Amino acid sequence: MSADYGSPTVEHEAAAGDDEAGYRSYEVYQRERVGSPPPVKPGQLRTQDYLDDPYTLLANLRHYGPSFRDWQGNAFWITHYNDVTSVLVDSANFATRSKRWFYGLATFGRDLRNNVPFLTAQAAGIDKHAPVVAREIVEAFATRGTADLATEFAALFPLQLLGRTWGIPDADLPVFVERYLRMQRGSRWNVANQEAGKQAMLQLVSYFTPLLAARRADPQDDVLSALATLEIDGPAIDAHDVVATLLEGDHETLHGALANMWYLLLTHPDQLNMVNNTRRLVKYAYFETLRHSTPVLSGERFAKREVERFGLLIPEGALVICSAAGANRDETIFRDADQFIVGRKDLVQREPRGQYRADGLPAGITPALGTPSKFPALPVGRPRSLYAITRDIATIASHALLDATSNLQLAKGAQPVLKSRGYGELHTCWHLPVTFTAK
Amino acid sequence: MSLIEELHKTIATTYEVDAQTASTQTFEFPLMPLGTAYDMGRDAQGVPLFDPRIFDSREFQRNPYPYYRILRDHYPVYHDKLHNCYFVTRYNDIAACYFDGLGYNTIPKGSSNHVLGNTQLELSGIEHSRRRNLYGRHLVGAALTKRIGAICKLANEMIDEWFNPESGMTEYDPATGKYTMELGKAFANEFPIRVVCQVLGFPDEARDKFYYWYKYMMGGIGGRDYEQKGLMARQDLEDFVESIVEERRLKPNFLLDDEGNEVAPDIISELCKTIVDGDVLSTEEITSNIALIVGGGGETTRGAILNMWYLLLQHPDQMEAVLNNDPLWDAAFHETLRHSSSIGGQPRQNTFDVELQGVKVPTGSLMHMVDFSANHDERIFSDPEKFDVLRNDLYSEKILRSGYSKDGRTNHMAFGVGPHLCPGAWISHQEGSIGSSIMSKRIKNVRIATDRMAKDIDGVSLAPIGLGAINELWLEFEAI
Repeated sequence: MSADYGSPTVEHEAAAGDDEAGYRSYEVYQRERVGSPPPVKPGQLRTQDYLDDPYTLLANLRHYGPSFRDWQGNAFWITHYNDVTSVLVDSANFATRSKRWFYGLATFGRDLRNNVPFLTAQAAGIDKHAPVVAREIVEAFATRGTADLATEFAALFPLQLLGRTWGIPDADLPVFVERYLRMQRGSRWNVANQEAGKQAMLQLVSYFTPLLAARRADPQDDVLSALATLEIDGPAIDAHDVVATLLEGDHETLHGALANMWYLLLTHPDQLNMVNNTRRLVKYAYFETLRHSTPVLSGERFAKREVERFGLLIPEGALVICSAAGANRDETIFRDADQFIVGRKDLVQREPRGQYRADGLPAGITPALGTPSKFPALPVGRPRSLYAITRDIATIASHALLDATSNLQLAKGAQPVLKSRGYGELHTCWHLPVTFTAK
Repeated sequence: MSLIEELHKTIATTYEVDAQTASTQTFEFPLMPLGTAYDMGRDAQGVPLFDPRIFDSREFQRNPYPYYRILRDHYPVYHDKLHNCYFVTRYNDIAACYFDGLGYNTIPKGSSNHVLGNTQLELSGIEHSRRRNLYGRHLVGAALTKRIGAICKLANEMIDEWFNPESGMTEYDPATGKYTMELGKAFANEFPIRVVCQVLGFPDEARDKFYYWYKYMMGGIGGRDYEQKGLMARQDLEDFVESIVEERRLKPNFLLDDEGNEVAPDIISELCKTIVDGDVLSTEEITSNIALIVGGGGETTRGAILNMWYLLLQHPDQMEAVLNNDPLWDAAFHETLRHSSSIGGQPRQNTFDVELQGVKVPTGSLMHMVDFSANHDERIFSDPEKFDVLRNDLYSEKILRSGYSKDGRTNHMAFGVGPHLCPGAWISHQEGSIGSSIMSKRIKNVRIATDRMAKDIDGVSLAPIGLGAINELWLEFEAI
């Protein structure tokens, strides 16, 4: 026996060949099955590498195998399209946990987003206000000839629209937005953000308490009034419920989708030109954006029971990270998966429903916006889905931008990038300077 | 200012603040003076905040205890959302969880499973209690006492080498009559391995391989870079064990004393004839048990010996007390494990939704029982950061599975308690205290060769032990 610690390989490989017969336990089989070392270093999925360019690492994971056990982050990563969608639709085996749970405030208020009066008021409010808000925002910079589409357009639009549909007076909006953003930021691992977020939640509760009473006395045509007059089992709706509902809904995702879409269009001028000439393609550009550069990189699911899948035994309570970004670039599903192609033929140009549509086409997955819906296409007594609503808003806003400008292009020397600012946060374009000619 | 301008300003400011403070992963924690925690901010009530990124930092590796104190005082069950786990840090909570084998499972198919195989680390309940003592019972009580003579002999043989100029273990300076050596290389790395080899009944030539198996299997746990090499090392170990198991099944091998009498069969021979659930163990099962002994029997004891000498030599009065009173080596060994053990804790998964210290933990969460922190819990040990061999609140006699907490004395947590108590606790105790006692009778005027040692951030004082064990311990001494 040699004492050369460095090269056990030769001996091992020689031994492997003549060992065909005989009983091999599951563990031994598992050991022999592993063909190559893991493609990422421990913890690398939480480093700057991943925040800057998740796609290279995710491609490595996808080619490595169906699953990757991240011991340091105590999570199972799933990156194949079919696997990711199968988990996202499997609410029998996998559960989400609310943002309030991450806050450690699981009993703070009630999430009222699934009540039909709320949904109806939200859809009606958005239909009414979206075109107006879009016009106002574009007009604010239209005469200037330059703008930062990330902050002045993509980030602003969803928040102002949120204020209008919820019935928050314009004068209060800047303060509200500041608290709202602070609250959304805190639902992650970062303790400093979380502390600030808790403060913001309390501030929002005291802000909404009188407003809610006023709406209850004198209902208006807005979401807040719908909540104030909502009748459900249990105690009457109070400001905590309103804040919980606000927190769980993620209106910022639309910001990410809009910013990414315009980033992609501006960096692919031929596609932008095509979209500008054929306006119905705006919608398809939006779909392709959700596929090519989803603003939400992954959805987190917790196993409700022990499940054997993806070559793993996933214990109850385990965290499964469904990597939408990984799935959306799956080469076995999308041809030229890394290319941004508006109107691509292998992408479903409608809302995904179930794991596959009847026509068998896959959709771009964006958790919170584009997860497959469990409701029928035309739900009775419910407004159209949030997926459809956000698609329409994005289209309306982009139409307003195209209508008001011509010769839209990246500012000279600008080199915008997509990146996340922290683990679990939006992967989007934070600065997108453009120049244009006002119409 | 128009509404839109105002809104835009608010958004831009918020994002700017985010970019600066919130979430860059590359944040480096500054290295603090020992015993002082970096200020991670406070909440509205003035309670210190705890940033989970600290667990990945260099600062935490060298100076963990003030951070564990924050956890114990303010977050006895801390939910780390970055690493998706919980940390349990108070002694009493940890002990209660260790004893509750049904409520807190060891992890099935956990991080060590890949490399070590199906070991008892992964079992719970009756499956575990049937198997946990397969080899452990041969390493305790009368069975262990029979082996002590052989352990002493091994220690003396190794120490003889120090004074053999050809061995290269020591550097001798005839002018001063002083020897210089690295304790790890000359003794601590090798001694536990030789003991384990003897206990297992490995032939002598396996010692060289042992280090390779040990290093790569341990390095491969938890999906680290070495995983592949770990798997190969495990395969190599299995091939080796396979070759001797069949032989031992027919003809058991015995440890012999100086007169050639049979003292006790080796562990492999014992495992070969062990019956569980009405059947003998398969080679795979035997290998897994051996893989666990190989993994657990080396580094831990090595670390205990090095840390013990490092700490004692930095506290000369205590060294003096131990040298004058041989039985105190037991206390020194246990106080070392309390103060600076090599194993940080054990992972558990809760079988049910539980509420512990006001924190609701969903079923199946990874809960780290932090033995490091339990051993420094001021609720149990007074002035826990102080290394004090003579402290009167530490139990340092025979290790008990049931734990010990009477007359103001409590056992340390380095071996755990309850069903999963370290099966090597007793033999490792014997190796540490007997080995050191024998050493102390062969050398005198021992001191740390400070100029060759790793230094702390100030570049002057000796590096702290931090988490785990020191790498090297350079000693200067004279022969007796």
